[in-house]
This record gives sequence, structure tokens and C-alpha cells, in this order.
Amino acid sequence: MKKILAHFNPEQIRESFLVLLILVFVLFFSTQIPDYFNPRFINRISTSVAVIGILAVGQTLVFLTRNFDLSIGSITGVTAYLVGQQLWYHPGIPPILSVVLAIGIGMLMGAINGVLVAYGKVPSIITTIGTLAIYRTFLVEYSHAVPITTNLLPDWIVNLNQVALFSFHGFEFRVLFGILLLVSIIFQFILRYHRFGRLLYAIGSNPSASQIAGFPDRRIVFQAFLISGGLAGLAGFMYLVRFGNIMVLAGIGLEFSSIAAVVVGGVSNMGGSGTIIGAFLGSLFIDILQNSLYRSLAVSEFWRDAILGMLILLAVAIDYLVIGHLRKKWARTGFQLKSEETSNVK
Amino acid sequence: MSNRKRILSNIWQKFNSWEGLLFVILIIVFFINSIIAPNYLTVGNQINLFVLYIEKIIVALTMTFLIINGEIDLSAPSIMGLSACTMAYFYSNGMNFGLAILISLLIGVACGAFNGFWVAVVGLNSLIVTLATLIGYRGLARVFVEDRSFGYFPEWFNNLGQKNLIGPFPFALILFFILFIFALIILQYSGFGRRVFVIGNNKDVAQYSGVNVQRVKIQLYIASGLISSLAGLLLAARYGAIRGDTAYGYELEIITMALLGGVNIFGGSGSLYGVFLSILIVLNVRNGLSLAGLSGHFQTGIIGVLLIFSILGPNISKLFKDWNKKHKLFIKPEKIVESNHKEVDQV
Amino acid sequence: MNKNNNNHKLILDLHHIYKNYDGVKALTDAHFDLRKGEVHALVGENGAGKTTLIKIIMGVIMADSGVIKLDGKPVHIRNPQSAQKFGIAAIYQEPMVFPDLNVAENIFISHADRGSIVHWRKTFQDAEEVLSKLDVNLNVRMPARGLTLAAQQTVEIAKAISLNARILIMDEPTSSLSAHEVKQLFKIVRSLRDSGVSILFIGHRLEEVMEIADRITVFRDGRWISSKPRNEVTIEGVIHDMVGRNVKEFFAKDKTERGDLLMSVRNLYKENVFEGINFDVYRGEVLGFAGLIGSGRTDVGLALFGIGHTDSGHIIFEGNKLKINSPQQALKHGIAYSTEDRRKLGLIMPMPICSNITLPLLQRYLNSLGLIKQRSEEETAESFRKQLDIHTSSIQAMVEELSGGNQQKVMISKWLNADPKLLILDEPTRGIDVATKAEVHNMINDLASQGVAIILISSDLPEVLAMSDRILVMREGNQMGIFNQVEAEEEIIMAVALGQNQTIQENVQ
Repeated sequence: MKKILAHFNPEQIRESFLVLLILVFVLFFSTQIPDYFNPRFINRISTSVAVIGILAVGQTLVFLTRNFDLSIGSITGVTAYLVGQQLWYHPGIPPILSVVLAIGIGMLMGAINGVLVAYGKVPSIITTIGTLAIYRTFLVEYSHAVPITTNLLPDWIVNLNQVALFSFHGFEFRVLFGILLLVSIIFQFILRYHRFGRLLYAIGSNPSASQIAGFPDRRIVFQAFLISGGLAGLAGFMYLVRFGNIMVLAGIGLEFSSIAAVVVGGVSNMGGSGTIIGAFLGSLFIDILQNSLYRSLAVSEFWRDAILGMLILLAVAIDYLVIGHLRKKWARTGFQLKSEETSNVK
Repeated sequence: MSNRKRILSNIWQKFNSWEGLLFVILIIVFFINSIIAPNYLTVGNQINLFVLYIEKIIVALTMTFLIINGEIDLSAPSIMGLSACTMAYFYSNGMNFGLAILISLLIGVACGAFNGFWVAVVGLNSLIVTLATLIGYRGLARVFVEDRSFGYFPEWFNNLGQKNLIGPFPFALILFFILFIFALIILQYSGFGRRVFVIGNNKDVAQYSGVNVQRVKIQLYIASGLISSLAGLLLAARYGAIRGDTAYGYELEIITMALLGGVNIFGGSGSLYGVFLSILIVLNVRNGLSLAGLSGHFQTGIIGVLLIFSILGPNISKLFKDWNKKHKLFIKPEKIVESNHKEVDQV
Repeated sequence: MNKNNNNHKLILDLHHIYKNYDGVKALTDAHFDLRKGEVHALVGENGAGKTTLIKIIMGVIMADSGVIKLDGKPVHIRNPQSAQKFGIAAIYQEPMVFPDLNVAENIFISHADRGSIVHWRKTFQDAEEVLSKLDVNLNVRMPARGLTLAAQQTVEIAKAISLNARILIMDEPTSSLSAHEVKQLFKIVRSLRDSGVSILFIGHRLEEVMEIADRITVFRDGRWISSKPRNEVTIEGVIHDMVGRNVKEFFAKDKTERGDLLMSVRNLYKENVFEGINFDVYRGEVLGFAGLIGSGRTDVGLALFGIGHTDSGHIIFEGNKLKINSPQQALKHGIAYSTEDRRKLGLIMPMPICSNITLPLLQRYLNSLGLIKQRSEEETAESFRKQLDIHTSSIQAMVEELSGGNQQKVMISKWLNADPKLLILDEPTRGIDVATKAEVHNMINDLASQGVAIILISSDLPEVLAMSDRILVMREGNQMGIFNQVEAEEEIIMAVALGQNQTIQENVQ
């Protein structure tokens, strides 16, 4: 064990374990469900994971600062509706602009969250439970119960769901999935190499030390919520692409799936640890599980949420008990080796 | 100090507290509502309001205890829904009604114990645990009732929920008053209540002082589960029917009632008097909005604003006070004075 | 005398500093100065104004009035970042590292000038360079989480040097260090001084201060009292300045008759924490626990109190074999434990004194309905107020309003109220002023003469030596030996604690 720990840190072990778990589940489901590796199914998963995956990236950033963002479901719903509505009224809007619009609206709502949490010092659980309701109310009142339907939308957006950047024997690399990959790679880079990302870890790791060191912790928390909102807006655009029909209930419950994804992916709400890779794997796991359960005849769709809740609990418990234990052992091995070598260290 | 001054100063102290502020806000709400609808301020009207939201109000009592203890139970509404759904499911499948009720209450206890296990024994964060069980218990409720609606409960049950029992008070309201008095006594005057406060203030000190922290937490979660399941059944009685999404989203209001009442989200302080005042405020704000023709959704949004304000308000006033202080003590360069103090011994 | 060639230039100079906190005069016409390349110690009782002075220098708070001069020019230190720019750094009692970041990042994360992109290889290299300057060997890739307190402090110092700090403030850096780690620290401090860094050193352990300081300044009640070079100063003189009266620093333990055997501990073992713990405790005796920080003494104490299980071994208490699984159980048998951190572990700050005192035995103050008997509670609190001379306007006052020494008294009252047969005191005089320290020692004497057995865990070696009948020495979880008061001397105990004495004399009674 010590040898393994010496080479890989617990996060990497966890991620590898998750990959293994995904493979195990996929193999299991392929025996239960006929025609599991059908390209159509895989392609569908790739687009459905895209929405959750984007939300999970934003949630990761928020989690790293020891906060929660429960309002992203509402943000997704609102942006999906607003963008859909604008495309309905003005079908000539170029695609890029509609994406920018979605992200912009999301950032506005994220900014409100950020101001309340970072500067108003309202705990994020309270803030986002509140804005979850407020944004949803806004959607209900604004829409006057008029739903967006696919026939109202320009063709390009309705078809975008199926558009593939390239395909290989029927397995398509779809645009939505490509967006997810791009966003994930960018943010993984930011977290690992950019000062903003490093400060995110620092602030979550030791908030009081951050304050004394003079880090702009409020601004960073604000920015985390801003980005989370913006990504939720992007997810709203992708939601519109996937479903086309947007009603006032759009996006309800997405925040729970995103939290399940990041928690399963190893991002800790205690701050300081977790990676985008983990969040990505977590999203993959959650989405494959949900989709496969849905297709499996034995499990009715009504079990979905019950299982989701159980998964979150298990993942958090395992993290707390096992990984926490491993982390301590890992840290200890590192120091004993060095300190025993020289007589200079205490 | 003269007697009159002392009385005035005492009254000022009471008003200067959070409860005082709530009292003032309540008066303002009453005033506004009376303008919108003359003859607003009657006891009968207040009773009606209480009855409309009585289940949430009852759960707010146990929520208060939990928050003071430094925890939270986001799954309470899901337990409400789950118990209502299991009761309906078993009854509609032929089980004796009384037995169905009993089992549903036991399920509530089990749910609470489950929450308590992960939080108190394993030691996980109650936010994430009850968030997970919020999802999980709601999911279980849907497993039982799927997307159907259940009703046709026995007449005595419906009457209990919909008709008055003693005078103008229905059963649920009487139950609330009894529970409220119990809660008040336990929280302020009992050893258990003190332990709840102490644990919420500093869990480690409590443990090191010989308090059985685990036991208190588990007891609180079980109480929350039991009360929530009871409230779910009351809801079923009042509506006469339930669905898979019964009590969905109630956590917003329940938590608002507690936090607006001055209960500190981080634990360690809070009072049921404040919670009672905030309940009145929430009820009358909703009513006022409804009288003004605004929809239920809109009202929910306003409750969200109230929730945020309940913490933002005090924070802003604190920031203002601190800023004021800092500003006064800001050292201006002109104030720097040359000194001629005795030089320290040279080495 | 300094060995360097610095011409004793004044680097930092503060005078006529006034600071009021809500009506409390924290600093009154205080002054302090630092020369280049010196270690200047600042001593004083709690409340003397030392922490306030540091906060002003670090830009955490602003003085009400006064002058601060850096290199002879008046400056305005508005916030910690501007203090950093002026080359001022501080190491506090509790090192502030980021546990999830690696050592290298901990050193460099406060640097504003390394650019937005982190180049990991360079970061690791630079970190190793800085650490080697301190003659220290740490794996820079490892997270700071597993570091010992002393290692974390080293990281903090490395951080300060990497920022080219000219002034290093050390606020009680040794309170959580063992004697050996203090020696290491002082080596680093001296090398920093010789390279021209000025060090402002705050400490309560006067022998240490005498060892490391070039100059010693005493504050009392927010005022400057004296500043003298070390060789013109004696410990008694310093105490005299600190307190304003002559006070003996320690009461020696009175010779009392040892009672009969109260508890035997045999082969106590907890994996990776302690092993082979064997000792007896008698009524009326003080058994001191000496050893380096991290040697496991607190862990043994906690195990006796039911916090943190043991893997094997047994405890025989009053003739009965016991398994103590929780503090309630321990209390039931008559074992009480007073923790080393009264703020975090000992007292509920916003709660009244009387409620704090009765907390461990709350069930005794409840009537048949479970309601609290307020009058009983107040009676108990009053009696302790008198007995321990707790300075407070009322026993209903919140504990957080009291001074450190009085808070300690409340905490001790809490455990005395439990009428313990065995009282474990963990660092009972840490961070409190000399006068209260003496009162605590007095109380320990009284308790022992009444037949209470006391285990005194303390890192203050002179205190342990003066107060204990016997001393148990631990090192890295192992019991190294038990010594009589007669044969125990500071050097011997220190050697044993370090494991350097090969022939350990074990005196079994």
C-alpha cells in the first residue's frame, strides 16, 4: 500500500477507481440490456452527459470554496427559456450570439448569487435556496405559462443536437459533447496552472489563512459563482438544444444531479480538494447509471431519485472514511522518509 | 436613574433586539394588509392563515431545534411526502387505516434515524447528508405512488383535517399549540435544551464536558423525522388526497420561518419567540400578496427574498457599524507627531 | 553581543502609540524599536498590549495616534499587504498553512509577482532552494496537511524569507514546540539575525527569552516599562517589571503524604500513537507528564478520559478493571480532564460562568421533569467564585468577557465541581499571566493535600519539575521512564525525552 501511495496521490487513486467502476457498470448493464453498445444509445448519452457535465464544472468551482450552488437548475431553466424565446421572436440571431446571450444571462444570475454570498456574507446554502425560488418565480411570471416548443425554433438549433463533428462507424462525436470536453479541459488547466485556480484551492483549504494573507477571497468566491452561473447559462443553451420544448419546470432537479456528479467525482465540500477530471468522471458515471437504469426493464424510472440520493451518501461517506484515511497515510509516508534521512529536521 | 427612565430603557432594550425588529415588521405588514383589505385584522383571519400552513409551521419547530444544534434537516419535506405516500399506498392496498398511519409514522422515525446515523455516528456534514436524503426520500415516495394521486381516506380522517375540533380550532392547530409550549419549555428550561445550545455553540467543548453529543443529535433527527411524518399525515388529511410531489419544496418556507426568527444558521443561539413572530410575518406577507392578486409562485419568490434578507439584513447592519467605527479611527497623516521620548539605552 | 557588523541602525521605530478598543486602553503612549540584525524580545502579561502592537505593525489594525517610522521615514501601514511590501512578516502561534496545497505552493502562494501561470518545476526548485537556506529538509511536493507544527512553522519562516522580509515578528512561536524543536528554531533565528533580519520575539517562557534575545522590552498594562540589553537583565527583574511587584514564579510542591494506590495503567497501546504505557497513580500525589510535543502525553490523558479508544492494555481504578469509552463514563468514576485549549475545547464562550461550571454534571442540576434548577446552579458557581477568587461582576457574566487567567479558573472550577478522584490537567498555565499561574499552582497543592490524584501534563519543564512528586517522561509514544522529584533534573529529563540517555534509570515505587 505504501508503495502505491508513494507514487500516486489519493485523488488519482480515486479517479482510477471511478474509471474502473464505470467500466464495471457498463459491462454489467451490457449483460442486462440487449443491444447496449448500440451507437445510438452511446450518442444519446454523450449529449445528455453534456448538460450535467457543464453544470458539474461550475459546481466544482463553487464546492472548492466550501460553498453550494443550488440555483443552477433554475438558471438553466431561465436561460433555456429566454434564449428559446429570443430565437422564436428573432430567428435571425446568429448561433454564437445566442450562446453568448445564454452565458450572459447565466452570469448575471450567478453574479447575484456571488454578491450575496461573497459580500453579503449570506451562507451559500441559504442564498441559493432563496435564488432557486426567486429565479424560478421569475420564469413563471415572465413566461405567463407560454411554453417554448420546437416548432417555434429555427432549424439549426433543433438539429444541433444531432450534429456531429466527426463520426466513426456510427459513433458520433457530437457538438454538445465537444463543448463539454472543451470546457472541461479549459477549467482543468485553470485549476492546475492558473493563479485563480490555485487561489480557489487555497481559500477552500484554509479560509482564515487566506484572509490574513490578504488574498482577495471575496472576489474569488464571487467569481466562482459568476462562472457557475455562466456555465449554467451555457447548460441552458444546451438544454434548449437537447429538448426544444421548454416549460416553466425546465431544469428542476438539475442541481441535485450536478452535486451527485461532483461528489461522486471526489470533489469535497470541505474545500481544497477535487479536480475537473473527477467531476467529469462523476458526471459520466451518474449519467450512464441513470440512462442505463431507465433502459433496464427491471428498474422503474421512479427509482431514479432514490438511487441518486443513496449514491451521494455513499460517495461522501467513502470519501470521508476511506480517502481521508488514505490522505493521512500518504502525508505521513512523505515526511517520514525525508525526516529520517537527515538529522536537520525535527 | 428615575423609574420612568429605567422602564423606558428596558423597553428600548427589548425593541433593540431581533425580536423587536420582527415585531415592528409585523406591525408594518398588518398595516399594509389592512389598507389592501379593510377588516383584515381579525383573529379569525389569523387562525385561517395558520391552518393553511400548519404543517410547515409544525415542522419549523423541530427545524429550529436542529439549526440551534448546528445541524439542518433539508429532507424534512421529503419525509412529509414519503409518510403521506406510504400511508396512502398501504391503505389503498387494503391495509387497516390505523395500521397504515402507524407504519407511516414509524417510517418517519426510521428516516430520521437514518439521517441521524450518517450525521452523528459517521460524522458527515448534515447539509450534504440531508440533501442526499431530500432527494432519496422524495424518490422513495415516488416509487410508492408513481405518478398517480391517492385519496378517499376514511371520513373521520378527512374531518380531522378539514373541520374544526374545538371552537374555531382544528386538530392540527391545537396540536401545534401543545407542541409549541412543549418546545418552549424544553428549549429554554430543560437540561436537554441546554445541551442542544451547547453542542450547537461548540461540539468539541460539549463532548469534552461529558455531553453525549451523538445521542442528542440522533434524538433530534428522530424527533424531526417523527414530526415531519406526522405533518405529512396532517397534510394528507387536510387535502384529502396526496401525490408524489406532496410537500415538494417546503424546505424554503420552513427554513425561512426559523432563520427569519433569529435562529443563527451556524448554531448556538435562537429563540422560539422569534420563530413565532417570523411565522406570523411569513403568513401575513403571503396573505397580503395574495389579496393583492399575486400568484402563489410570486409569493414563493418573495419568501425566498425574506430568507435571504433574514441573514443579509443583520450582516449589512454589522458591516455598517464596523465601517463607521473604522472610519472614525482612521489615522490621518497630519496627526503624526514628532517625539522626543527618552532614547533607549545604546548597546 | 552581536557577532555581526551591522551598525545597529534603527529599522523600525514606533512611538506615542495609543490604541483604544471599546473603552479598553490597549496601548497608552507605547514605544518600541528594532535595530537591524537583532533579536528584540517583548514580554508582558496577558493584556499588556503585545498582540495589539504586533497587529499595528502588521497593518491588521490601525493605531489611534502615534508614529511609525521605517528606516527613519514615517510610514502608514494600512493593511497586511502593505506590511508585506515594507518587508514585514509575522509568524503566529498557530501556523497558517494551506493543508491541501503542497509545501512549495505554501511558500510561494502569497507572492504577487510570480505571474498568473504556475510553472511547477520551477516552483519546486525554488522552494527547495529556500529551505536549504534554512538548512532544512522537507519534501516540497507533499501536502502541508501531514506536517508537524514545528515543520509548518519552518514553512512559514521559509515563506517570510522568500518575501525578503527584513522584519520578522514571532508571536509565541515556541508555545507548541518541544524543547528540542525550540533549539532548532533558535538556530534558524540566530542565522536569520546574523544575516541582517530584525526579529521581534514575543514569548512567555522567560528562560527561552533570556537565551535568544539581544534586548528585552517589558510592557505592562499597555505601557512601555523598560528596554534593556540581555546581559543587564535577570529573570526576577523582568518578572518584577511585568508584574510591578515581586512574585515568585513557581510554588514548589509541598511535601505531602502520598495516599494509597488509586489507579494502575498497564500496557496501554494505541497504534501509531502510544505503546507500553505503565504507571501507577496514588491519591494525593502529583504525577507530572514530561516530554516533547507530539510525544503522546495528551493522547494518553484523553484515553484515560474516554476520548479516543485504546487498542489494548487495561486500567485498574480503585481495584476494578475499567473500560472507559466516553467522558461521561470517566466522570462517573471520578476522572476529570482539563483541556489545553480553553477557547476551543474548554469553555462555551457566550454562555454564563455558572452554566459552564455545571455542564459536566448537568444531570445533577435537573429536577424530576428534566428542568434546570437555577438556584442550585448559582449556588455552586458562587462557591467557586469565592474559592478560586474569580474576578467577575456576576456569575451570570459570559465567560468570553473574562481575562485569560479567570477563564482558566472557570475551567478548573468546572472540573473541581465534578469532585474528581483523579484530575488530569493539560497545560493548565499556558498563556496566562504569572500571578494567576501562581494561584493555579497553589490550588494544585491544595487539591493534592486533600487526597486528589493529579496528572500534570506540561511542556514547561521547570513547572513540571517544581510541581511533581514523580515525573513520567514520554518520547514519541513510548514511556521512557518515571523519576522521583529528588533525582529529576532538567538536563536528565530533557535527555530522556530526547532518547539520548542510553542508561535510563527507572524508579519503580
